[in-house]
Amino acid sequence: MQLVSLLDAKLIHYEERHESLEMVYYDLVERICQHHKLPVCGKKLLEIVLNREEEASMVYPSGVAIPHVRMDDFDDTIIAICFLRQPILVRDIKLKWVVMIITDKSSSKLYLNVVAALLRLSKDEVMMSVLEVNNNGHDAYNTFKDFKIAVKEDLTLRDIMISDPVTVKPQTNLREISKLMNEYGYSFFPVVDDMHKYLGEIQILNYLKVGVPDYLLMMDNIQFLRSFEPLEKIFENEEKVIVGDIMEKGNMILSPDDSIIEAVFEMIQHKKPHCSIVEHGVLVGVVTAMDIYRKVIRA
Amino acid sequence: MMTMTYALLVVGISYLFIATEWINKMTAALLGSFIFVIAGLIGQEDAFSYIDWNVIFLLIGMMIVVAVLKDTGVFQYAAIKTAKAARGKPIRILIMLFIVTALISAFLDNVTTMLMMIPMILLLSQELKLQPMPFIINICIASNIGGTATLIGDPPNILVGSRAKLSFMDFIFNMTPPVLLIMAISIAMIWFFYHKKLKVSNRDRAKLMEYNENSMIVKPLLLRRSLIVVGLLLVGFVLQGALGLEASTIAMCAAMIMLIINDKKKVEQTLMHGVDWETLLFFIGLFMLVGGLHKSGFLELVAHKIVILGNNDPRNISVILLWFSGITSAVLGSVPMVATLIPTVKEIYQVLGVNDGNALWWSLAMGSCLGGLGSPLGLTSNIVTIGIAKRNGIHISFWQFFRYGLIYMSYSFAIATVYVLIRYF
Repeated sequence: MQLVSLLDAKLIHYEERHESLEMVYYDLVERICQHHKLPVCGKKLLEIVLNREEEASMVYPSGVAIPHVRMDDFDDTIIAICFLRQPILVRDIKLKWVVMIITDKSSSKLYLNVVAALLRLSKDEVMMSVLEVNNNGHDAYNTFKDFKIAVKEDLTLRDIMISDPVTVKPQTNLREISKLMNEYGYSFFPVVDDMHKYLGEIQILNYLKVGVPDYLLMMDNIQFLRSFEPLEKIFENEEKVIVGDIMEKGNMILSPDDSIIEAVFEMIQHKKPHCSIVEHGVLVGVVTAMDIYRKVIRA
Repeated sequence: MMTMTYALLVVGISYLFIATEWINKMTAALLGSFIFVIAGLIGQEDAFSYIDWNVIFLLIGMMIVVAVLKDTGVFQYAAIKTAKAARGKPIRILIMLFIVTALISAFLDNVTTMLMMIPMILLLSQELKLQPMPFIINICIASNIGGTATLIGDPPNILVGSRAKLSFMDFIFNMTPPVLLIMAISIAMIWFFYHKKLKVSNRDRAKLMEYNENSMIVKPLLLRRSLIVVGLLLVGFVLQGALGLEASTIAMCAAMIMLIINDKKKVEQTLMHGVDWETLLFFIGLFMLVGGLHKSGFLELVAHKIVILGNNDPRNISVILLWFSGITSAVLGSVPMVATLIPTVKEIYQVLGVNDGNALWWSLAMGSCLGGLGSPLGLTSNIVTIGIAKRNGIHISFWQFFRYGLIYMSYSFAIATVYVLIRYF
């Protein structure tokens, strides 16, 4: 299915200036309600959209926001798009366009595929630059038509992965890992070489294990031990120990073309809430269980 | 003659793989034994009849008892209690742990003992800032010596006991005295070598004394109950002769009671993780393999040669057996050697025409148990110990281990030889 088949030129417009995300949403709700008769409309619909936004942000790093509402007693999918001539800054992300989707409760797969297609589009700089210079909805509609953007039947990991993850090298020492963990709040980093080839990964437990020798792990329980010097003094070794010494090799990895269910399956099987995505030996992204939850299940 | 050559070839290649572990031991033994069957050197029925189920069930029974007992935390409790009872004095810790390990090992198999003791040793040496190497090697050897003392302490004893119809108490009366002597000399040696070398600061000692060993006992009720079962098991072993029961029956009964007093949901887990099926299948393969070799007539031939070599004198033959089994065990591993020598000893008894006295059996048991003592290749527990040490950054080379082992082995064999000669002839 082509994305354009789901679009309506009347619901695509260019906006010279909006002060806030809320105003864009208001605008889009107005336009949708003008052309369609929905069970819930106007202020109430806006409220629903804003509440959702508060729960989990719909703004993606590639500069698009995709708010959506799943409506009772409704059986269709409506898409309204607003391109912002002047980007709005939302949590350090330069928001350049907003796509509002109203859909029914059952067709979540279609909705997810539309989101995936939009996300792919938002990352394509060439297509985006063409869309940005259009003047009205009809031109934009025709551009969408020319692009022949297909709505895929199935979502793959490529659609939801973080494609530019923070990586480390085998020679990175623990002090730097510490810094990265603090800076990004991640507990897991893929390890790559200079050519960005995937080598393995390191996670917070590998870091902590530096202070817990193997023999301690062999004991059935260590309740008799109230404190343990090597653990408390990990930071003293932070510069001596490098990622290459403690990283995990041979972890499960997935390909960007793998399905979401495969990722979920592997994560459950291996009890790991994250996974590196590798294509031809090169790291291309990372997907976490949280991503799947946020972008697929909760979406 | 042809059959014998083929049989020797199959057994020889299997033993080579078993000793070198180029392929998994169990796989090598079982594959070898079924090649026997395929080659028509022995019928399957016949091969199966060589499997000593008394040994297999005794092993299963003891494995289950130990698995449940281990769950209670009692062994690590004992280790910490010992270190604290030594008041943190390093030489006392070393000697007392040496004794406790030997004692535990007299009732547990060596690998299990080492899997529990070595982590403790590493922790203690880390906390007390002591060189771990002497502790590791001496404790490992302690478990080897301790296992020699009883029927259930070491696989060679289980094998000899079963085939020679020797009871638990027979082992206590015959094997324990020389082991006690070896222990005494070992302790004296440890004291001589280390009492000036090991030093611990007051602060590190205080850290050790802070250990709360009582918190190791996670399931006090299970511990009380299983100690009662273990007590009954020992009583059963002591009365084995009077009861007229095989050791395996007693051990299996205790094992089943252990499973009942433990959590019902844990039965499967105990059977999965507590019972070493690989070892059991290895034994089964070995029995069939040796059975095939026996049937080929080779062992009878060896028996004759040994008798001639020993000048028809049981006294000489005992000493030959002791040293031969010792040296071969050190190189090839004690279990395959003992399995092969048992039918050989039976043949020797036939050739000699004497049936009274078990001197040859005791020589075989002592030789093969003590043979693995100091050889880093001879005993699985030694290999396991070196492996654990290595994973913790302590590299023990073949020669480092062997240097200690050789000292222990030389006086152990001297004592064993003198003991056999004085006691039985």
